[in-house]
Amino acid sequence: MSAGLRGGELRAAPRRPTPPGASRLLLVGIAVFLAITAWAVIGLGPNFARILANISKAPKIISEFWPPDLGFAPTTADGMIETFQMAVLATALGSLIALPVAFLASRISAPNGLILYLDRTILSVVRSVPDILYAIIFVSVLSIGPLPGILALILFNIGIIGKLLSETVDGIDPGPIEAARASGANHTQMVWSSVMPQVLPNYVAYALYTFELNIRASAVVGFVGAGGIGLVLDTQRKFFAYDRVAMIVLELFVMVVIIELISERLRRRLA
Amino acid sequence: MTTLAADTQARPLPPSKWRRNVSLLAVALVLLWALFASNLPFDRLLGLPSGLATILGDMLFFPDWSYFGTAWEGMVESIQMAWVGTVIGAVLSLPLGFLGAKNVSGGALSVVIRQVLNAIRAFPEIILAVLFIPPLGLGAVTGAVALGLHSTGTLGKLTAEVIEGIDAGPIEAARSTGANQVQTLRWGVLPQVLPEIVAFWIYRFEINVRASAVLGVVGAGGVGQSLVNTVNFRHWDKAGMLLVVIIGTVILIDLASGRIRRRIIEGGDKPSRGQMIEQPEFATEIAPPRAARTMSFSLPRRAR
Repeated sequence: MSAGLRGGELRAAPRRPTPPGASRLLLVGIAVFLAITAWAVIGLGPNFARILANISKAPKIISEFWPPDLGFAPTTADGMIETFQMAVLATALGSLIALPVAFLASRISAPNGLILYLDRTILSVVRSVPDILYAIIFVSVLSIGPLPGILALILFNIGIIGKLLSETVDGIDPGPIEAARASGANHTQMVWSSVMPQVLPNYVAYALYTFELNIRASAVVGFVGAGGIGLVLDTQRKFFAYDRVAMIVLELFVMVVIIELISERLRRRLA
Repeated sequence: MTTLAADTQARPLPPSKWRRNVSLLAVALVLLWALFASNLPFDRLLGLPSGLATILGDMLFFPDWSYFGTAWEGMVESIQMAWVGTVIGAVLSLPLGFLGAKNVSGGALSVVIRQVLNAIRAFPEIILAVLFIPPLGLGAVTGAVALGLHSTGTLGKLTAEVIEGIDAGPIEAARSTGANQVQTLRWGVLPQVLPEIVAFWIYRFEINVRASAVLGVVGAGGVGQSLVNTVNFRHWDKAGMLLVVIIGTVILIDLASGRIRRRIIEGGDKPSRGQMIEQPEFATEIAPPRAARTMSFSLPRRAR
C-alpha cells in the first residue's frame, strides 16, 4: 500500500505546472471596453454611405483647400501678431498668479489644511472648464476682442501651472526645509528660502510650456469672438473660403512649430 | 608679482550672470511690447466684476433644471465622441509609436514618423475639426475623427518615448531563445510598455472629454453647440445648466480615470512613479522615462 503510493508520487512529481489562464479582470476589462465602444459608435451614428461618397469627391475637396491663398497672408498679419501678444500676456499674468496658487495647493508649503483643501478644490474646478468656455463667458461680458481671450487663457494657465507646480513642490527634497526650520525660519521664510529655489527651474519650464499651449489656445478662443487669428479663421470658414482657411492654418502651424522648437530647447537646458 | 599673490587669495568671482540678465531683459521687452502694442481696452475691465456677477449668478444659482435632459443628451454625445476619438488614437498610435521609437525601427524611419507625429500635434482639435467639416459634414463623426487624429499625434509621441526608455534585458532574453523580430516585440517590449501606454490612453480620454465639450462651437457635434446657442440668445439659466453638466461630468471622469491609472501603473510590484500618473503630458519631457526606468529597474523587484 505504502510502496504503491510512493510509486505514484514519483510519477506525478515532474509534471509541468499549467500556465495561468487569462486573468478574469482582463477579460472583464476587454468586455467593458468593447461594450462602451459599440455604444459610442452606434450613438454617433456614422453615415458610412455619405462618408464613402465624400471620399470619392476627395480631389474636388482638396482642390478647394489647396493651393492656399498666398495673397491673403498680409491680411492675416495683424491677427497673427494679436494671437502672439495674447499668448505673451496670458502666460505672464497666468504664471504670476499661479505661483502662490501652486504653493497653497501643496501640503509642504500650504500654511494649513483648510487653505490646502480650498485651493485644491478651486484648482480642480478651474482645470475642469475648457478654455473656450471661459472665453464664451468673458466675451459675453466684455464683448468681442482679445481682452476676454487673454482672461480666458489666464484662467487656463493658472489651472495647468498650479497643478504641475504644486505636484513638483510635493516631491522636493525635505532636507532644506528641515534646515530652514532648525534655524528658526517661520513658514513664509521657509517657503521662500527652501522651497522656492528647488522648484524655480521647473516653474520657468512650466511657464514656457504653457506659452506653447497658449499660442495654440489663443488661436482657438478666437472661434467664440475672443480675438486673434481664430477670429479671422472663423470668418473665412463661414464664407467657405477654404484656400484662405488653409493659408491661416499653415501660418499658425509654422508659428507653433518655431515657438515649440525654441521653447523645448530652453526647457531642456532648465531640466 | 604681489598683485598675483593678492589675486590668488581673493575670493573666486561668482559665475557671470549676464546670460540670465539678458534673457530677463528680453522677456521684459517682449512683455512691454505686447502690453502696449495690443491696445487693450482695459477700461472695460471696470465693468467685469458686476457683469460676471450678473451672468454667473443667473447661470450657477438659477440653472434651468428642466433643460437637464437636453444638456445631458449633448454631454453623452460629447462623451461618445471622446471615446471613439480615443479609440481611433490608440489604434493608430500604437504601431506608429513602435515605428517612431529609435530602438525598434531606428534610422530615418523613426525620424520621419516622429516628425509626422509632431506635425499632427501642432493642430488643435478644433482646427482639425474645421478642416474635416468639408469632407465629413457637420456633426459628431467629424468631431470624433478630429479628436482621433490629434490623439494619434500625442499618443504616438508618448508611446515612442516610453518604448525608447525600456530595459534591454527582456529583449536580449527573447532574442537568445531564437525569437524573430515580431516575437521579440510581443514578448520583450510590449509587456514592459503596455501598462504605461494604457494609462496614457485613459488620460487622453480625460482630455478628449474636455475637448469634445467645445467642438460644437464649430459645428462638430456634442454639447458645445447648445452652449454657444444659449449664450448667444442670453439664456443664462440654460447655459448654466449646460455648464453644471459639463463641469460635473469632467470632474467625475477625471476622478475615475485617475484612480484607474493609479491602479494600472502602481498595481504591480513596480515602485511608485508618481510623475507618470500625475503629469503624463509632461513626464516624458521634463523627466525623460529613461532616467526613471533605470532607477526603477536597479531596485530589487519586491522592494517597498
